[in-house]
Amino acid sequence: MSSHAATIDHHHDSTTSTGIPNKKLLWWAFLASDCMFFGTLISTHLVYRLNPPPGNAIPTQVFNIELTSFSTFILLMSSLLMALAVNAIQRGNVRSTRTMLLGTMFFGCIFLGGQVYEFGHFVHMKHMTLSNSLFGSTFYTLTGTHGTHVAIGVLLLGMMYVRTFKPAAGGGLSMNFLHMLAVAVAAGVAFIVFVPGMIEIIYGAGIGEFLSSHAVPLSVGAAACIAMAWFARQSSTVEFGEKNAIDVEAVGLYWHFVDIVWIIIFTAVYLLEYL
Amino acid sequence: MSAPAATHTPTAVGHHEPSKFHIYIQIAMILAVITGVEVVLVYTPIVKWLVVTALVLLSAVKFMFVIFFFMHLRWDKMFCTILFFIGLVLAGGTMWALLHLFGADAGKPLSAVVGLLLF
Amino acid sequence: MAEALAKSEFTGTGHAPAKSFELFARPTAKTGLVGWLTTVDHKKIGMLYGGFAILFFLIGGLEALLIRTQLIVPNNRFISAQLYNELFTMHGTTMIFLAVMPLNAAFFNLLVPIQVGARDVAFPRLNAFSLWVWVAGATLLNVGWISHLVPSWNFGGAPDVGWFGYSPLTSKVFTPDLSTDFWVLGIQMLGLSSIVASLNFIVTIINMRAPGLTMMRLPVFTWMALVTSFLLILALPAIAIALVEVMFDRNFGTNFFEVSGGGQPILWQHLFWVFGHPEVYILILPPMGYVSEILPTFSRKPLFGYPIVIFSGVAIGFIGFGVWSHHMFTTGLGTVATAAFAIATMAIAVPTGVKIFNWIGTLWGGHIVTRVPMMFALGFIWMFMLGGFSGIMHAAAPADAQQQDSYFVIAHFHYVLIGGATFALLAAIHFWFPKFFGRMVPEFWGKVSFWLIFVGFNCTFFPMHFLGLNGMPRRTWIYDSNMGWNEGNLFATIGAYLLGLGIFTYFAVLVYSFFKGQKCGNDPWDARTLEWSIPSPPPEHNFAAIPQVHARDAWWYEKTHQEEIAKEKAANIKAEEAHGGIHIPDQSWYPIIAGMGLLFGTYNLAQLKHPVVMFGNQVLGSHAPLAIAGLSIVVLACYLWSLEGPGGYHIHLDADGNAKESGGYHH
Repeated sequence: MSSHAATIDHHHDSTTSTGIPNKKLLWWAFLASDCMFFGTLISTHLVYRLNPPPGNAIPTQVFNIELTSFSTFILLMSSLLMALAVNAIQRGNVRSTRTMLLGTMFFGCIFLGGQVYEFGHFVHMKHMTLSNSLFGSTFYTLTGTHGTHVAIGVLLLGMMYVRTFKPAAGGGLSMNFLHMLAVAVAAGVAFIVFVPGMIEIIYGAGIGEFLSSHAVPLSVGAAACIAMAWFARQSSTVEFGEKNAIDVEAVGLYWHFVDIVWIIIFTAVYLLEYL
Repeated sequence: MSAPAATHTPTAVGHHEPSKFHIYIQIAMILAVITGVEVVLVYTPIVKWLVVTALVLLSAVKFMFVIFFFMHLRWDKMFCTILFFIGLVLAGGTMWALLHLFGADAGKPLSAVVGLLLF
Repeated sequence: MAEALAKSEFTGTGHAPAKSFELFARPTAKTGLVGWLTTVDHKKIGMLYGGFAILFFLIGGLEALLIRTQLIVPNNRFISAQLYNELFTMHGTTMIFLAVMPLNAAFFNLLVPIQVGARDVAFPRLNAFSLWVWVAGATLLNVGWISHLVPSWNFGGAPDVGWFGYSPLTSKVFTPDLSTDFWVLGIQMLGLSSIVASLNFIVTIINMRAPGLTMMRLPVFTWMALVTSFLLILALPAIAIALVEVMFDRNFGTNFFEVSGGGQPILWQHLFWVFGHPEVYILILPPMGYVSEILPTFSRKPLFGYPIVIFSGVAIGFIGFGVWSHHMFTTGLGTVATAAFAIATMAIAVPTGVKIFNWIGTLWGGHIVTRVPMMFALGFIWMFMLGGFSGIMHAAAPADAQQQDSYFVIAHFHYVLIGGATFALLAAIHFWFPKFFGRMVPEFWGKVSFWLIFVGFNCTFFPMHFLGLNGMPRRTWIYDSNMGWNEGNLFATIGAYLLGLGIFTYFAVLVYSFFKGQKCGNDPWDARTLEWSIPSPPPEHNFAAIPQVHARDAWWYEKTHQEEIAKEKAANIKAEEAHGGIHIPDQSWYPIIAGMGLLFGTYNLAQLKHPVVMFGNQVLGSHAPLAIAGLSIVVLACYLWSLEGPGGYHIHLDADGNAKESGGYHH
């Protein structure tokens, strides 16, 4: 590993025929394919919005547009942090990369938490389930698939984050695994319990009540956060560096794609209903 | 996040990729503003077709900003753009065709009354 | 040039540091069971695809013979109606997804990396993963047959909803048993496998070409592999979503295709054919590629109009996305839509016709050598054209209203899929067999099998045109003797036996040749492309020196410019050796572990809400924990896979070309 880095050209890879790194080409081809996935899902949704059966749920009575607008804003900002993470690693700044990756994951968790709250709210308060109206079927499937994409994105970012601690000297598989576990648990608690709880509190629920009724998951999440802080203390030299910019960039492409899909969904599924 | 990464030894800034920090921040601001405008637009009492057109255009602008700047298609080889647009155009075309197929009168299921009349 | 090569990835610069970061040691066995299960070598993966595909091709053929036997005389009771439904469903599904597609995948794997002058695909472990996911899907589709043998495994038999599984037949109301759930998840797995494999081939073809190999010098087969890969990644998502929707309808009470809940079954038809029509080109474009390789070789001429052949292939791929509703003319699309899809369908015949014109142009004035692959290739042109003619007849919407769901349609697509795709595949197997096994197939027996197949095929399917126009509907279990269909069916069934005999002869001869065939050198056909420049069978590293490509027919050029090429090769070998030798990726356990985890997970997901019963006792209330366990295995395998890294070792060639291995980490 003659390291470094000073001469890495992030827009040209001399080992490939086109100069585009293999990984980048793979991800762009995958995103082209993913366009068809979401194209089909959005088509299904819109086709049934054009031909609603009698007794269908009425979208504007179900939606909470303030919360969705806020989620949209958060997801856009997570994209900013992701772009900054790539920017940082392309300049060889591993510390800043870690911060930005964590920030992106956190914003992703806020978005997912908003969706968890939204789904719960729609089911329990508005009585729209997956099966009791066609709108419910298409809406939950479409936004749920998007949410799954975001969750996978958070997992990929977590793996990338943990990988930045991989020691240059080798070994450390069990440490890596525990670190990954801590990240996954923290992210899971954040979007399943913590963020939806915070939204409840903003809408007027009691803090004490929330803390006491979710004591167990919250303390597990707190423990995971402490564990993450402890794992991040590590001081030996790491293998991760500017040469890994393409890996961060590849995950970034996926993350931004999830964002642009949401841009479409926000307009096509939410906003157009208000006209 | 205490330990400085070992592979990060100080190198002359000139060797690195120029930082796009400011561009990214500006783009993010634009995206946030457009999202705000979109939400406000929905409640604005103007002709419906104008609002729909504006919404479609604004989300297309957001879309393009993200793919060309955040996903740096702008700075990459042209082929990446072509590759992605193959998927985008085919997906868009398929959606368009499906919506027209189901929007056409012939594509709508007959209601009971019309069905009885036809019989 | 040597400078550029020294920087290239093939020489394996920039390796992971010596310390391992893995759960258990990487497998190193090159032969034996472990060697095959953990292989990442594109040639071995291609062989596995090919072996499984031929197995399923024979099973699908057997299913067809049972169908034809049932139809040999009117009012026959040879098999039950239920079994008949399962047979025609599985015959279609097997032949499309488990025979023709994986045979094409086998040739992608065997040929593409060598034709582009690379040592492997871009992502070797991902390639192995595609294979094992395909095996998982094939298993899920066929697991229902067990019910016929072991009644306590109550899956309701094999899938019986037809290969396109039209809604509302797939509704829980009409097919309450598990066979449809297995069908849904089986197809889903095959789709996943194809998407992953196609992404890999897109990157390989675009990014791993040897120096000098521009896109317009790529062999036509590789071009068609590229177009097909694009079709796969863009068409399969539509059916993936449609299958998810069916799965939700069946398991979670959604109403996507349930009329009672406001759903529209017609949406399934649209989504299915948005995938299904490009799928037709997915099946036929690679065969067009084989034929475009075989015809010039045996006409002793370059391909006529190479750029037009490529352009036509790309045009077929694109227009192929705009014609899906011609499968649905009789559903009442409205006049505008019907006219638009009819015109697009007729338009797509133009590039197809251009290709046929170019193949004939290749033959014209050529020095034609009628070896067995050439016979099959010539048969392909003729038979595929006949299938194309009936295709044009379907494109006329009013005429199609008469032909829809009749045996005329059966005749049409068997002419394009057997007369077209299968003839070309048989040509390709015969053509490349010497390359990958180092032995020739006897010419006489090859020709006998060709004539048996050719005559049998036409006897089987030509009468079906008349049967169809006389009103015989497809998927008919029995028919009355006064319908006027007796002679046609009898004739077709006899033809089917002849076809079966021909296929049996063909593969029996292959088995014989594998053991006893005459040994051959690098280039028994005096062919044109790079795979013929390396030993038969090819060594693990494919090329001793990364080739420098100077012309479209690269190997013909090499044969006529030996001095220049020898100099280049010596320089390239030296450059590569100076850079650590030939880099070969390490084998890995994780692709097969992930694939089998997916099999276990989806097998249980299919029966999600049923209790788990073992030896007559209920063990679990539902299959959910097992499904989650399976998917956890997948996640864990992927995690360890990502940590393991590509790894690799180096091969050093001595003056005689003998290989010596060294570790990958020091050079």
